[in-house]
Amino acid sequence: MTALFEEFSDIDELAEGLEDDAPGGRIMAVIDLADSADPAAIPYLAKAITDEDAGVRKQAAQALTDFDGPATAAALVGALGDGDAAVREAAAISLTELKDPAAGDAILPALSSGDEFTLTSALAGIKELRRSEAMTPASAALTHMASSVRIAAVGVIGWLQDETALDALIQAASDAEAQVRRAALLALGFSQSEAANAALSAGLGDSDWQVREAAAETLAKSGGPGSVAPLITALADDYWQVRLKAVRSLGKLGAREAAMQIGPMMELPIPNLRKECAAVLGELAVPETRQFLDPFSDDSDPDVRKNVRWALDRIGAD
Amino acid sequence: MPLAHTATSVPVTIDDEKCIADKGCTVCVDVCPLDVLRIADLADGSKTAYMKYDECWYCQPCEADCPTGAVTVTIPYLLK
Repeated sequence: MTALFEEFSDIDELAEGLEDDAPGGRIMAVIDLADSADPAAIPYLAKAITDEDAGVRKQAAQALTDFDGPATAAALVGALGDGDAAVREAAAISLTELKDPAAGDAILPALSSGDEFTLTSALAGIKELRRSEAMTPASAALTHMASSVRIAAVGVIGWLQDETALDALIQAASDAEAQVRRAALLALGFSQSEAANAALSAGLGDSDWQVREAAAETLAKSGGPGSVAPLITALADDYWQVRLKAVRSLGKLGAREAAMQIGPMMELPIPNLRKECAAVLGELAVPETRQFLDPFSDDSDPDVRKNVRWALDRIGAD
Repeated sequence: MPLAHTATSVPVTIDDEKCIADKGCTVCVDVCPLDVLRIADLADGSKTAYMKYDECWYCQPCEADCPTGAVTVTIPYLLK
């Protein structure tokens, strides 16, 4: 009779395959060690990540994705300087999967690396671990010449959600690179401060539409009464994606004074935008906006019809 | 003119030199959602993966996950 479940092999027994003369045999040993999901495999995988064959090293870097902790992080950080680009990439990806804050101990020293790839990968790896010690090197990295480093640094600061980093994030919101500005504005969502609001409102006038979209989106979380006027201006943005986020944020902020500006947008030919406008008009429930919703209760798009009917119900009869 | 009653090529091809099926690897067979790959015993006693059924959806995890880069998925021109 065929066994329904494979019997688990002893880790030491599986690791014997790492001594195979053929790289293929060593790769299979790495795969078996990863499949074991046993933390006892970590030291063997840490050894395999320094194998003479790049294929084995890459497989070991990928295999370490399934593990966590300081030993895993140390092996992956070591592989960031590998001579083979595929190994480096695999190690960088696995680093971002770490969840144990203790793993940060092995990553923190890499935050002072002079190598762009190592620094970017280390910042990306420590981001979700929320280690407060990363704040200082991340703030320093905001002035790095490589935009990939600056984007990763903004990510670290954004995850730490520390008000002391507010000035650094606001400064990054006026970075020369659009993707850095976008990341900084998205990261500002945790703060309710006037300075953050001002930076987000200024972001609505950015030259890059994705930055404007990020500003409009984030104002839903951290915007205040002073954000309503810039968001109403953003309703006339050239990009519907920005207009859509602005409508959504005005709804979240409960900006009833914006209802009469949102109403005419029901005439726009983009169904996603009409759907959002109808939902927000329902949330704001301003009786005078019935006139904008009534003609669309039989809209050609079923999602728009659904939201229009819901909004009309919420606003109530004339 | 050659007749096309029998397929002369398949979308998933395996480089026998790189394939480590004889070491016990079955990654491509395991990840294929349509279960069209198999391991073949070659005449020289070694093993290699091959495409047994021509039902490929060109989803490519076999190529992406192969630990030695032995698998190539050729996507038809009209699908590119």
